[in-house]
Amino acid sequence: MTTMLILIPLTFLLLLVAGAAFFWAVNHEQFDDLDSAGLLPLTDHAPERPEPPEEPPP
Amino acid sequence: MSACFHCHEPLPHEPVLARIGGEPCAFCCIGCRAAAEWIEQLGLGDYYRLRSAPARKAEQSTEASATWSCPELDRHVVRPLDGARSEVCLLIEGVRCAACVWLIERSLGTLPGVAQVQVNAAAARCRVVWDPARTPLPALLDNLARTGYRALPLDARALDDARRRETRDALKRLAVAGFGSMQAMMYGVALYVGAFQDMDASTRELLRWIGFLLATPVVLYAARPFFAGALRNLRARRLGMDVPVALAVSLIYAASLAEALRGGAEVYFDSVSMFVFFLLLGRFLEMRARHRSGDLVDALARLTPMFADRCRADGAFERIGAAELRVGDVVHVAEGGGVPADGVLLDRACHVDEALLTGEAEPVARHPGDSLIAGSVLQDGPVRLRVERVGADTALAGIVALVHRAQAERPRLALAGERAAARFVARVLALTALTALGWSLLDPSRVLTATLAVLVVSCPCAFALAVPAAMTRALAVLAHRGVLVAHADAVEKLAEADHVVFDKTGTLTSPHVQQVGGDAAALPLAAALARASSHPLARAIVDIAAGEDALPAATDVAAHPGMGVEGTVTGRRLRLGRADFALRGTLDAHALADAVVLADRHGVLATFHPRERLRDGAAACVHALQAQGLAVEVLSGDAAHRVGAIAQAIGAGQWHARQTPADKLARLRELRAEGARVIAVGDGINDAPVLAGADIAVAMGNGTPLAQVSSDIVLTGGRLQALPEARRLAQQTLRILGQNHRWSLCYNLCVVPPAALGLMPPWLAAIGMSASSLLVVLNALRIGRAESMPPAEAAALREVHA
Repeated sequence: MTTMLILIPLTFLLLLVAGAAFFWAVNHEQFDDLDSAGLLPLTDHAPERPEPPEEPPP
Repeated sequence: MSACFHCHEPLPHEPVLARIGGEPCAFCCIGCRAAAEWIEQLGLGDYYRLRSAPARKAEQSTEASATWSCPELDRHVVRPLDGARSEVCLLIEGVRCAACVWLIERSLGTLPGVAQVQVNAAAARCRVVWDPARTPLPALLDNLARTGYRALPLDARALDDARRRETRDALKRLAVAGFGSMQAMMYGVALYVGAFQDMDASTRELLRWIGFLLATPVVLYAARPFFAGALRNLRARRLGMDVPVALAVSLIYAASLAEALRGGAEVYFDSVSMFVFFLLLGRFLEMRARHRSGDLVDALARLTPMFADRCRADGAFERIGAAELRVGDVVHVAEGGGVPADGVLLDRACHVDEALLTGEAEPVARHPGDSLIAGSVLQDGPVRLRVERVGADTALAGIVALVHRAQAERPRLALAGERAAARFVARVLALTALTALGWSLLDPSRVLTATLAVLVVSCPCAFALAVPAAMTRALAVLAHRGVLVAHADAVEKLAEADHVVFDKTGTLTSPHVQQVGGDAAALPLAAALARASSHPLARAIVDIAAGEDALPAATDVAAHPGMGVEGTVTGRRLRLGRADFALRGTLDAHALADAVVLADRHGVLATFHPRERLRDGAAACVHALQAQGLAVEVLSGDAAHRVGAIAQAIGAGQWHARQTPADKLARLRELRAEGARVIAVGDGINDAPVLAGADIAVAMGNGTPLAQVSSDIVLTGGRLQALPEARRLAQQTLRILGQNHRWSLCYNLCVVPPAALGLMPPWLAAIGMSASSLLVVLNALRIGRAESMPPAEAAALREVHA
């Protein structure tokens, strides 16, 4: 019983972290373009990214 | 090496040479070389390794991108963000594969002040966030033009990308419902197992409240679209799908909460989460299919001219953006130019091509005082017109609005599925009410348990999932095989069709020309001009000139739609095209009615007669269609002996020659009056009325863009054999849809009575619901997998291949 009382809150915590990570990814364009990212590892010298945006888009 | 390094088009015999990355490379034109050199200079030469499709032929840019620097125009297309940054949405032509996306992002990223570049390949749109003070907008466009893409700033409203917001929203809700229902199901299973093993009451209470915690965000956040939709429906006094779903979700949730509070027998927090998840999954699949179909609005935006030549009081022109025109302005439209706004023709009669609006390719005569419509193309000019309506008031804008509305409407099949599901849910609710009534008379303590069991076990997830799952799978499989389906309804109609009408020229045959008049020296001149045109006959002239030693360069080239091409080659002003156009009406053009003529000011230099070759796979396509039981017919405007020969070669049963578009349409009406359901296959704008009159229109991928826009299905790559395959797949899709519906119905007939009698334990109800939904999805995934080709058809294909 005690193990359950420890493990259940732990799963809730993990669930919250996973959900937050997914929302973050969706809001930060990780799911907007699923095509070009696959090509990145194929380039010899990936040119450095232009200056990153200062804040997330709306 | 025989193809251009950049665009893979055949090389002229004096190719443009350059060293790219230390390797000698050959190009078809200066434009392609400039693009490749620019890409190399940016350090993005990897593009050529990464791409899976050749680039669009780069044009030597003639468009004045500097016009976009005018602040009046900026206001329309650029939206200022915080501080120094602004954003703009560009429509980009020439995005062919993922490498293009990479190249555009990188090449814009090298400009100073560019903070963010985001390309949506499917919509051919690109959103740029940048500092206009460091890099003006024309510099962005120039950079893209030098890389070989044509970019067009879109109205700033396009930035509110409704699709992107919708997709993101749906993804988040789906994730919440997915996570929530998985966890809730886990605790639910523990409860069900506990019921067999005498779980103590305190543990049971704990697991129930955990289930409540997990189901709450699913019901209150993920299921919100259903509640919002139900509210909308109720306000409009309609009973849509959302009303019963919202009712069922809130009933199960509230009743489970009441049971948990009073320590009752059963709770269904796991089932309500699953219910929401499956329904959202169906909606998500359907949304993806809807977004995939092309954006006609963008195609129309490409067709309206962006600039206008306004006549000033002193008689001179000034070039301004079409958006700046005001009512009462007088604009000048050159021959072959697009009309920038609705207006009244002022000085002389002319012919305009209004194919955009009417689908008719024949130019229509307009006299002074008549109105011209924005987006139509002037065939002979120049003329002046007084602007009457601009912007959102034009007829074209009206069409765009119509198209928007049509796209928002869901496909008929999905609607039918939805209606069936809505009826079903309404019946279930009635049954639930009946069950509650019955038990309240017999044994009030069992009311809640039995009614909940009925609601849960008979959930309409399977119904709601059946159509979207099968459609999404079918569209994906078809796209993979070179068949793009623009309207989801097309799948149903394709499966039901029993008649195919082929256009001959450009569809069953590919064009080919033979030079009959003039000397051999004229051929390179003709080919040099023909390179500037995308007309199939022009391409054919370039093909036969491939044996020549050297192609001279053509300068000052002007294309006259529907007529021909004009340009200066080796110092001479030449015209190539229809006889009356090329000879400017000076000579007897009648004798050369079908021919393509090359002429200078003094007369004919060469004539080319169109011949044709049977397209690869045309016979195989016809045989396979006949083996499927379809009647095949050829309708052509061509002479009888040529149509007859082609019809015999492919084995078509019936053919009609010398058909005008009106004749073709009349024939289609006749067929449809006899009850036939007709597929029309065509390639060009002259087929537009026929394509529009058929039950289902199929356009060849290498045909004109407008024919593709007006058709239901596009065969990319022009592979005719894809058509019988597509039809078989469509039939399979309908078969599987039928199976799914029958299965859902049978399942419900079997399980609802025991649930209503109170014989269904909650764990069985939950398992039944999930299994039924899962089965429907798995069945849909069979589409395109189990290929069952009837032996007769396989034999037909084999015979032709041999």
